[in-house]
Amino acid sequence: MTDQLDPYVEWIAREAKRPVAVDPMAVERVMARVRLAERPSRRAARWRWFVEPRSLPLSPIVGAALAAGLVGIGVFLGHLNIDRGGQNPTGRSETVAPRPPLASSRDTSIIRDTSVIKFVLVAPHAANVAVVGDFNNWDAKATPMTRTKTGGTWSVAIQLPPGRHVYAFVVNGANGTTQWVADPTAPLAPEDGLGAPNSVVLVGGSAS
Amino acid sequence: MTRPPRGWVIAKDMSDDAADVQRVLSGDVDAYAKLVDRYYDRCARFAIRMLGNRDDAEDALQSTFLRAYRALGRYQERDRFSAWLYRILVNQCRSIAARRAHRERVFVREEALLLNAPDKRPAWSGEDEELVQRVLNELDPLLREAFLLKYVEELSYEEMAALTGAGVSALKMRVKRACDRLRERWERIRDD
Repeated sequence: MTDQLDPYVEWIAREAKRPVAVDPMAVERVMARVRLAERPSRRAARWRWFVEPRSLPLSPIVGAALAAGLVGIGVFLGHLNIDRGGQNPTGRSETVAPRPPLASSRDTSIIRDTSVIKFVLVAPHAANVAVVGDFNNWDAKATPMTRTKTGGTWSVAIQLPPGRHVYAFVVNGANGTTQWVADPTAPLAPEDGLGAPNSVVLVGGSAS
Repeated sequence: MTRPPRGWVIAKDMSDDAADVQRVLSGDVDAYAKLVDRYYDRCARFAIRMLGNRDDAEDALQSTFLRAYRALGRYQERDRFSAWLYRILVNQCRSIAARRAHRERVFVREEALLLNAPDKRPAWSGEDEELVQRVLNELDPLLREAFLLKYVEELSYEEMAALTGAGVSALKMRVKRACDRLRERWERIRDD
């Protein structure tokens, strides 16, 4: 184990690593079902690859980008047709109205041009607060936040490279509890459905 | 002395796996029993720890090995067979966990784990086993899955990403959260 683990957690991992008792007939039961199944072959698999429906998981941003790309191709082809004879293929003259953009940059997420990002959280009852994210390997000790003079607000400013960063706040209460909190002022990250979602910040123009 | 061809230095189990897969694809169904035998125990450990229930774990294992057999024609030898099999197992465990989400959660007990098991199996304190399974069961499934893959199966984050479809960053976050919650729950259970 390369990472430093809490001794309790390490003990749990060590115990969980012990082999489990397995019913010796289990493999026989698998093989009984396998013998009834259709035999696999590479040829059938190749054919299945062409005809099998499949789903393509896309994030909303990629989906919007694809849609914008398709619209762009349509507009480009439309211009090509108009340029050829000044008429569309049906021969009817038509004015192409300019299309509004699919989404403005404000719609997509927070875009901040500067690479120094200030994280702020109001947590008046916290004993200490830290920001964790992919930029610090989710290490709660790496980026502690400072309590402002007014008392209830915590903040830290850090330099981030351009790109999309997922983050959350780790709030330690005075009674020893630890809570992961999303940024209430930022968009939520879609990839984590664990009850305490993370937030997203996009840094610089390259992330859009 | 001639230099061995590229890729010659490979783990023995990889070459065994590839040979067995080839035999199965050539029509030797019994060769599949060797693959099942080779990986059943390790897969069983993950499934039991993940699902916390021996019956559900066996369902997951049966459907994993059956699906792997049916899909064997699509297996590419450049991939490790174990990683390919684990990807199927992780998905089966997720499906079964989702199906039983409405059922009452059952904590696994050592007695249940040892049901039908031969006497020669290693014996250790059932209390520790039960405690470990309890704290694992109380984790969110995605956190439990990430923790088991990282610290029990000892996969790298890149391997975990290939298995689960999640990003490395998300997986690191899940492992971190799992460790935090395990520590909190362990301390609570210990103090009860």
